[in-house]
Amino acid sequence: MKKKILIGLLIAAVAVAVGIWFFGFYKPTHFKRDVADEQAITITAKDMVKEFQANEDSANKKFLNKAIAITGEVIEAKKNQDGKSTVTLKSDDSFSNVYCTLKEEGGEINNGSTITVKGICTGFLSDVVIIDAIVIKK
Amino acid sequence: MKQFFFLLIALNTVLVSFSQKTYATKSAQVKFYSHTPAEDIEATNNQAESKLIDKTGQLMFSLLIKGFRFENELMQEHFNGKDYMDSDKFPKAEFKGTIANIAAVNFTKDGIYNVNASGNLTIRGITKLVTAKATVTVTKGVVSSKSVFKIKIKDFGLTGKDIGSVIANDMEITTTAKYN
Repeated sequence: MKKKILIGLLIAAVAVAVGIWFFGFYKPTHFKRDVADEQAITITAKDMVKEFQANEDSANKKFLNKAIAITGEVIEAKKNQDGKSTVTLKSDDSFSNVYCTLKEEGGEINNGSTITVKGICTGFLSDVVIIDAIVIKK
Repeated sequence: MKQFFFLLIALNTVLVSFSQKTYATKSAQVKFYSHTPAEDIEATNNQAESKLIDKTGQLMFSLLIKGFRFENELMQEHFNGKDYMDSDKFPKAEFKGTIANIAAVNFTKDGIYNVNASGNLTIRGITKLVTAKATVTVTKGVVSSKSVFKIKIKDFGLTGKDIGSVIANDMEITTTAKYN
């Protein structure tokens, strides 16, 4: 009987150790954030650019590093110099749009079509920048 | 009539010689790398904006700190944290400078041209003068630039206690921009 309890305790101890190693050390360094699993802020490309132009600081607080689902009209779909697909979504200001870099092939995306892209907002240069994105509707 | 054509050609030459072209991209790549026996740090940003003006040699880069991607996400978290880049407070970094010997580059002829760039690099709200050897490459009319230079991390107000021990003092920065 004592032996059984001892073995039980041993197994429990090993399980706890593995758990600590996995969640404490392995997972944070080996797993990648995936927007597909995240609850996103939903917004149009037009409104997002407007918010950044009106007040960049407050827009940064609202959007930076968050998962965002942006809907807008495609004005350019191409490949960047690293070979990744990029999509530019139109705003009301032709100098400032939403520039999305996809993490996987988005399939065929036509200029003029309206699509929804889900990705992580890194901030505002001349465009609002979205990275690690996926196309969720087209 | 002859004079008129002559005038037209002369005017055209003047216009061509004065017109300058801006080469621009929104997907330049900026990488950094540092090495110590304890830890290699490496991250890449593929959404940097860069502009190069052929006549004046003006060169500009701007990027978002949160756009750097690490293999190790925990390292990425530390990088963005208060002791290091504090990217909530300082979301951008920027370089504004010039290529002194831009005249050495023939933008109409294929080739790899060695140039010297210098200018102000702003990271974490702190601006320092940096100089770098760079190349401008022209391939079938497509212009690209590349440079590698080193910065001292502590110059830019990073306070992380591991800098100088686990983390090297210097960071090597590589920029690659293909203008389109």
